[in-house]
Amino acid sequence: MRALIQKELRENLKLAMLGLIIYSAILALNIHTYSHWMQSVAAGGQGQREVVMMQPLVSGGFWTVSGIVCATFGAILGWFQIHNERQRDLWAFLVHRPATRTQIFFGKILAGLMLYLLVAGLPLAGYLLWALAPGHVAAPFEWAVLWPVAVFFISGMVYYFAGMLTGLRQARWYASRALGLGTAVIVSMTIMLVPHFWQVLAVILISGGILATAVWGGFHSNGYYCSQPVPGKPALIAALMPGCAIVIGFAALLLIKVPRQTYEPAPPYYRMNKDGTIYKITSRKEGWEPEIADLEGKPLVDPKTGSAPKLAEFDQRKCYENTLWPSFYNPAEAYRDTWFNNSCNRFTFWRETADEFWFYCNRNGRLAGYDKKTRQFIGSLGPDGFSKDLTGNGDHFDRAGYNEPLQGVVLRDARTIYQPYPEHRQVKALFTITNENCQAAAPATNSSDRIIGAVHEVWINGYDWNYIIVVTRCYVHLLAPDGKELWRAAPAYPKYNHVTVACLESTNQFALWTSPAWWLQDKSGGKLPEHVTWLDQDGRVLKSIDLPNLSYHPFKFVREDKLMSLAMPPALFVIIPLFEGDPWPSAIPWVLVHFSLAAALVCLPIGWWLGRRYNLSLPARLGWAAFQLCFGIPGLLAQLSVEEWPAREPCPHCKKLRVVDGEHCEHCSADFAPPEKNGTEIFEPLGAAK
Amino acid sequence: MNEQSVISTRGLTRYFDKKPAVQDLNLEVPRGSVFAFLGRNGSGKTTTIRMLLGLLEPTRGTGGVLGYDIRSLPPEARARIGYLTEEHQLYGWMSVRECGEFQSRFYPRWNEKIFRGVIGHFNLKPTARVKDLSRGERAGLCLGLTLAPEPELLVLDDPALGLDPVAHRSLIESMIYLTRRSDRTIFFSSHQLADVERVADYIAILDRSVLRVCCSLETFRNSVQQVRLRFPGAPPPVPHIPGLLQAFRAEGELRLICMHYNDATEQALRALGPTQMEPLPISLEDAFISYLGERGEKSFILAETEAQP
Repeated sequence: MRALIQKELRENLKLAMLGLIIYSAILALNIHTYSHWMQSVAAGGQGQREVVMMQPLVSGGFWTVSGIVCATFGAILGWFQIHNERQRDLWAFLVHRPATRTQIFFGKILAGLMLYLLVAGLPLAGYLLWALAPGHVAAPFEWAVLWPVAVFFISGMVYYFAGMLTGLRQARWYASRALGLGTAVIVSMTIMLVPHFWQVLAVILISGGILATAVWGGFHSNGYYCSQPVPGKPALIAALMPGCAIVIGFAALLLIKVPRQTYEPAPPYYRMNKDGTIYKITSRKEGWEPEIADLEGKPLVDPKTGSAPKLAEFDQRKCYENTLWPSFYNPAEAYRDTWFNNSCNRFTFWRETADEFWFYCNRNGRLAGYDKKTRQFIGSLGPDGFSKDLTGNGDHFDRAGYNEPLQGVVLRDARTIYQPYPEHRQVKALFTITNENCQAAAPATNSSDRIIGAVHEVWINGYDWNYIIVVTRCYVHLLAPDGKELWRAAPAYPKYNHVTVACLESTNQFALWTSPAWWLQDKSGGKLPEHVTWLDQDGRVLKSIDLPNLSYHPFKFVREDKLMSLAMPPALFVIIPLFEGDPWPSAIPWVLVHFSLAAALVCLPIGWWLGRRYNLSLPARLGWAAFQLCFGIPGLLAQLSVEEWPAREPCPHCKKLRVVDGEHCEHCSADFAPPEKNGTEIFEPLGAAK
Repeated sequence: MNEQSVISTRGLTRYFDKKPAVQDLNLEVPRGSVFAFLGRNGSGKTTTIRMLLGLLEPTRGTGGVLGYDIRSLPPEARARIGYLTEEHQLYGWMSVRECGEFQSRFYPRWNEKIFRGVIGHFNLKPTARVKDLSRGERAGLCLGLTLAPEPELLVLDDPALGLDPVAHRSLIESMIYLTRRSDRTIFFSSHQLADVERVADYIAILDRSVLRVCCSLETFRNSVQQVRLRFPGAPPPVPHIPGLLQAFRAEGELRLICMHYNDATEQALRALGPTQMEPLPISLEDAFISYLGERGEKSFILAETEAQP
C-alpha cells in the first residue's frame, strides 16, 4: 500500500501545491488587511468597529474563505484522484494488481487526506500561529472561537469523499453522478444550524462515514451499483438521498413559488406617539399606504390637510422607546443559540478609548483591554476594579441577556448596575437593588429579586434618551445616568417578559409596555393582552389599559408549505426534531407529514413496479417499497439513480418481454436459448489439437 | 471448471443498454496453450477480457479464471495473471524506471531481469517519461510490466494495436521468445492473423458477439475450403448451400468458400453442372476474412454489376 500512497502523493502534488498557494495567499491577504487597518486605527483612524474586524480569527471573511476553500479543494481533490485513473485501461492497470480493492481504496484516501491536511491545515496553522503571537492581534482569544473553522476543516473531508464518489460513480444519468455532493452541501448547512457541538460532530461523522462507505463500495464494483458489497449499497443510496431531496426541492420550489408572487400584507401593529396616544397601523393592499387609526378605530386625519397622513410622516411623531427581552421565570425561555453563534460570540467589542480597545468577555464576565499601538493585553475590569490578568479575583459582571445591548454604557451583576471607566481603570457602582424578595411586587414568583436585564443607550434615533432601564424579577426601574432611581414599576404580569419603556417628551411622561412571553402567548392562542401603563416623572401610575395582542403571530403552514412537503421525504420531518433546540421546531409538523406521506404512498406502487421492471428479488422489492414510504419522491429518484435499467427481449418460450440480466425468464422460468446457429460453427473438445 | 482449463465460462453475457456485446459465451482455454481470441471490431473481445478479469460485471452467466470466480478474483489470483491492456495506458508522469519500481512493489515474484530484458529489447531509456514514449515504446513498457511478475496466465488485449511494423515485430518477438513456457497460458486477442498463425495453438472467433469457433488452428484451417467451378458461359445462380461463406462470380467461373465442406456440399455443387471443379488452397487470413466478412455472393460479371442498382 505504501507504493500506492507514494504514487498518489506524487500524482496529486501539483494540485495540492496550487491549493496551498491559493489558500496561503488569501490568508496572507487577510493578515495584511488586518495589520493595515490596525495601523490606521492606532494612528487615530475612525470608522466602524466590530469584533469581526478586530479579531481576525472570528471574522466572517476568514470563516467564509476557509469554508469555501476546504469544501472546494476537498471535492476537487477527491474527484481528481479518481478522474485521473477513470480512463478504462488505466483503471484496469490500477485495480488489476495483487491487492484488494479495500487496500487500493485506503491507499488512495490516506494519500488524499494527507494532501488535504497539507493544503488546508498548513495555511490554517500558520494563520493561527500569527494570530496567537503577542503583539499581532489587539483582541481576546479563546480556543472556542476556532471551533467553526475546525468544523469547516473537518467537513472538507466530507466534500472529499463526495468528490471521489462523483468521479467514481458509473451512472445512467450523468447529472446524477454529482448527487453525492448534495450530502456535503446539506452537512455544511446543518452544522451551522444545530444547537450543540456534539450534533455537529455526529452529522459530520455519520455523513462522512456514509460517503466513505459508498466510495469503498464503488471501488469494489468499479463504480456500478449492482455489484456493490452489502454495506456499499445502502451507503450509496443514503449518500445520494440528500442530493435527490435538493433536486426535487428546487424543482418543487420553481413550480410552486415562481409563478405565484402573491402579496402578503404585514400584520397590524401598535405605535405610540410622543404624546402617549396609541394608534393601530394596518396594511391592506400592496402599494397602498397603511391605515392609521386610533384604538376606537377612527382613522387619523391630519388637521392641516384634512387627509390621512402617510406612514413616513406619522413616524416622525413616534415616541422614543427602548425594549428589553429578559427571561423572567421560565428557564426554558432563556435564550439558546446555535453552537456556531455561541462560538462567534465569545467576546464583544465594548468600547474604544483614545489608545485602547475594550472587549466584554462572556466567559470571564469582565472587560478586557488591549493597547491599539502595541496590540498587547493591558488588563481587565470587573466589579471590583482593575486586574492585570483576565480572571481578576473571580469577580465578574453577569452575562448580558438576549436583546440586551452590550455596547452601551453600563454593566451589571445580580444586584448592582456598574459604570466602568476604562481610561481610569475604575468601575463605579451606580445602583443596587434593595428589595430582597419579590413577594410584595409579584406574589406569584416567591423568589428573591435579582437584575435580569439592563440597558443604557444614550442616543436613540437622534433623541438623547440618557436613561438606564433596569429590569429585575420584580420591577422595572428607570434610572438617571448617575444611577438615581427615577421610578420603579411592578410589571402587571410577572411572566410578561417583553418590556418596553417609552419616553413621552410632549407630556414629560413615560409609558411601560409589557407583552406576554412567547410560550405563554402560544399556550393561550394569543389571547393574553398587552398591557400599557402611563407613569409620570415620579413613577405614579396615571393610567393603564389592556390591548388586544397584536404581536402574537402563530406559525401556520400555508398552501405553498404543504405543496413543498409533497416533495420532501416523510422521514425528514421525523428526523429534524431529533436536533431539538431553538433553531428547530420541537414538535413533528404532522400537517406536513401527512402531505409528505400522501406523496410517498403514490411513490410506493411506482417503486414496486420499478422493482418488477428491474427484476429484483422479493426482499429487494419490499426493501425499496419501504424506502419509498420513508423517503417519498426523493427516494424514488434515488432508486432511479442507482438501479441500472436492464434491457428486455422477447422470451422465445412465452413471447413476453423478459429482462436480460436474469438467468431465467421471470414469466415462465425458461432458460435463455443459445444464439441461433448459422451452420458455420466449429467447436472442438478441449486439448484436441495441442 | 475443467482442471485442464485456466479460463472457463458458461453462458457469459454482457449487454450495453439494449445491445448485446457478448452473448452466451461458453469458452474453455487449455492450460499451457497460446489461445488467440479473434473477431472484428466491436465483436466483444475486449468486453470478454474485461469480464474475465473482473473489470466489468457480466449481465448474466458465470466464469472462472485459474479456478476463481471472475466476480471476485482475489489478490493471489491477480498476482498470477498478467494483463496487457489494449491502449497501453500508464501514468504519464512516471519514468520507465519508476513504472518498474511501482509495479515491482506489488509482486513478490517480480523478475527484474525480464523487465530490463524487455525494455532493453525496445531500447527504452529508464529515465524517459511515459508521456514522451511512442505508442510502440509504451507497448513494450507495458509488456515488460506484464511479464516481469512471471504470471501463470497472460491476457493480452490486442497487444499490437496501432504499432508500426518494427514495433509490432519487436512485440511479437518478445511474446514468442520471452513468454512461451510450457506452464504458461497466453490468451490474446488480435487482428494480426500472421501473428496468430505463428504463435497460436487454438483460436476462438467471436462473430457479432456470438462465439462461432473454438478449435485448434489446424481444425479451422481445414474447415474452410475454397473450390473453383468452371462453366462454359455465365455461371448459374448459387443455390442455398449449408456452410457457404462467400461466392465470387466471374465470366465462366464460380469460386466458393465453404465451411464444413463434405459430400453433400460437393453433390450440391456438381448439380450446378460445372465443366470443371477443383479445390484451391486458402490462407488463414483469407479463411478468416471470408469467415468474418460479408456473407453471400459477389459478382465480377460486368453486365450483372451494372444491372445492380
